[in-house]
Amino acid sequence: MRRTSPALAAYSWLVYGFLYLPILVLIVFSFNNSRFGATWQGFTLKWYGVLFGRSDVREALLGTLLVAIPSTLVSTVLGTLLGFGLWRYSFRWRTPLTFLMVIPIVIPDVVMGVGLLMLYALVRTVVPFSNGLLTVLLAHVTFQVSYVALTVRARLAGYDRSLEEAARDLGASDLQAFLRVTLPLALPGVLTGALLAFTLSLDDFVVTYFTSGSGFRTLPVLIYTNVKRGITPDINALSALLVGVTALVLVLASVISGRSSAFRRSARRGREDS
Amino acid sequence: MKRGFAFGLLTLALLSCAVLGGCRKQAAQTGSVTPVQGDGKTLRLFIWSEYIDPQVVKNFEKQFGARVITDTYESNESMLAKLAGGGSNYDLAVPSNYAVPGMIRAGLLRKLDKTLLPNLKNMGNLFPRLDYDPGGVYSVPYQFAATGLAYRRDRSTPDPRAWSLIFGPSDTLSFVLLDDPREVIGAALKYLGHSVNTSSVAELRSARDLLRRVVAKRGFRGFDGGPGTRNQLLAGSVDYGQIYVGDLLIATEENPNVQVFLPREGTTISLDTLVVLKSSRNAELAHRFIDYVLQPKVGAAISNFTYYSTPNLAAKPYLSELLKNTPALNPPPKDFQNGKLEFIGELQGNRTRRIYDRIWTELKSR
Repeated sequence: MRRTSPALAAYSWLVYGFLYLPILVLIVFSFNNSRFGATWQGFTLKWYGVLFGRSDVREALLGTLLVAIPSTLVSTVLGTLLGFGLWRYSFRWRTPLTFLMVIPIVIPDVVMGVGLLMLYALVRTVVPFSNGLLTVLLAHVTFQVSYVALTVRARLAGYDRSLEEAARDLGASDLQAFLRVTLPLALPGVLTGALLAFTLSLDDFVVTYFTSGSGFRTLPVLIYTNVKRGITPDINALSALLVGVTALVLVLASVISGRSSAFRRSARRGREDS
Repeated sequence: MKRGFAFGLLTLALLSCAVLGGCRKQAAQTGSVTPVQGDGKTLRLFIWSEYIDPQVVKNFEKQFGARVITDTYESNESMLAKLAGGGSNYDLAVPSNYAVPGMIRAGLLRKLDKTLLPNLKNMGNLFPRLDYDPGGVYSVPYQFAATGLAYRRDRSTPDPRAWSLIFGPSDTLSFVLLDDPREVIGAALKYLGHSVNTSSVAELRSARDLLRRVVAKRGFRGFDGGPGTRNQLLAGSVDYGQIYVGDLLIATEENPNVQVFLPREGTTISLDTLVVLKSSRNAELAHRFIDYVLQPKVGAAISNFTYYSTPNLAAKPYLSELLKNTPALNPPPKDFQNGKLEFIGELQGNRTRRIYDRIWTELKSR
């Protein structure tokens, strides 16, 4: 095996340091016995206690999940169909439509947020409603769909449409061909897109802030609107917990997928042997 | 800053849209729909973060059998943008004084019903002239803070207690300035003996030349917000910092060596005000809340929590010892009258606004 050069190794460590040092500092300071986090004042767990006592944080966490999970489900279905359609069919408006799909990814959040705000104001002149969970959900779906559609289309781009045609030659209906052949091929793209959509929803501040009306908050909104007078260490504690949970989920996911691919490999080997 | 700028632009767009043609009809329509009356028991409050004692809110809820829904914002611009878009039904907001005239013009505010505010008498006469809202038709002062210079008393003794420490020719001290155009340019104008709201090109030019020299000093450690400056002083990494008095004072409990003074050349004050919004569905309850806050003990409790000054003169006796004994928090009333302490006001004219923008852009991109 070739040894990596020390320079390359040092460079890699630097990159990882660049990525993870801020998170590490954040976690360390969640145990700091100071309200301001400027200097180290000794170890404490009290901020975790403060955090669990805060009902607004609990509500915001619930709000975040209430938006992230349904919006991801909806946008994954819509995005997959859109990505599939753009790959499967050739029609006159395909290029402009593909282009339109990229726009929500490119435009700044602020423009998107205010655009939605004004659209809602316009709709409100016909149907009176208040902004809240539903308006945030719709807003998130609008920017998530593009990401899902793009990843699905990119995943399918490598496959020939003849695979689907072959399935139909062998007697599969359109739906069967889609469910048995195309969808399994696209699945890694669908999952990547869904994961991306989920994280985007968890992260979003600007669009949520504009469309949330009063009394409905997500964690990013709660945290960001606190910067004026300084973030308190209980928010550090919250972030540390979120990082921990995310890491745990990733490890679990890779263990599960590792196991299932190992299983598939051994199954294939078994077939070849016989 | 970038986000603030973008918000500013959009606020402008939204407000002008609300004022001019297109949306007016729509605004009038929603205006006529407004009689959607609330239940009289829910109060939606839009306020800066950490700017009201949660206990005060709880006590109000208990006394009036009401529910208070609180949302927070971190800049006047983002608050305005959200309000101008509608759909949020807030009853009360807490804009800074210089944001009030724009909100009045955009038709976002309701005239206050003073018969519902008997406690207004407690306010006293600390601010005799309210240029942003003459006669207090739309707004009631809530909390204010002067902008001071903070330092570590274990590291240096400020002499003189003046802007000249950092704006003068010597370059031996390290310092940070507030990340806010009006505060920084305002401080320079005060040091030069001008008004912080000047539109004189010559005065602004001399302020620009001064600030160019200041940010070129070796001791200049950049622009930062209140919490950042506070942390640098706590960590002892700078000698001086321009900061809102309240943001610094809160840290003295952890380290009594951080101190703050108001420079003798004069300085800026920012005042936040309580306003009732047009979109309010429970305007009467909103008035009750304002009146509740105007009680001396409640006003003092809020100040004791925020470490900002109370404009309510009757509340002074109930302030904590720290707040009572901090001169920077209790500037003498004559300093308001003789113009030593100046409100940051709305700038007059597009040309003046452009000059301020240009100076700030130059300082930030140095």
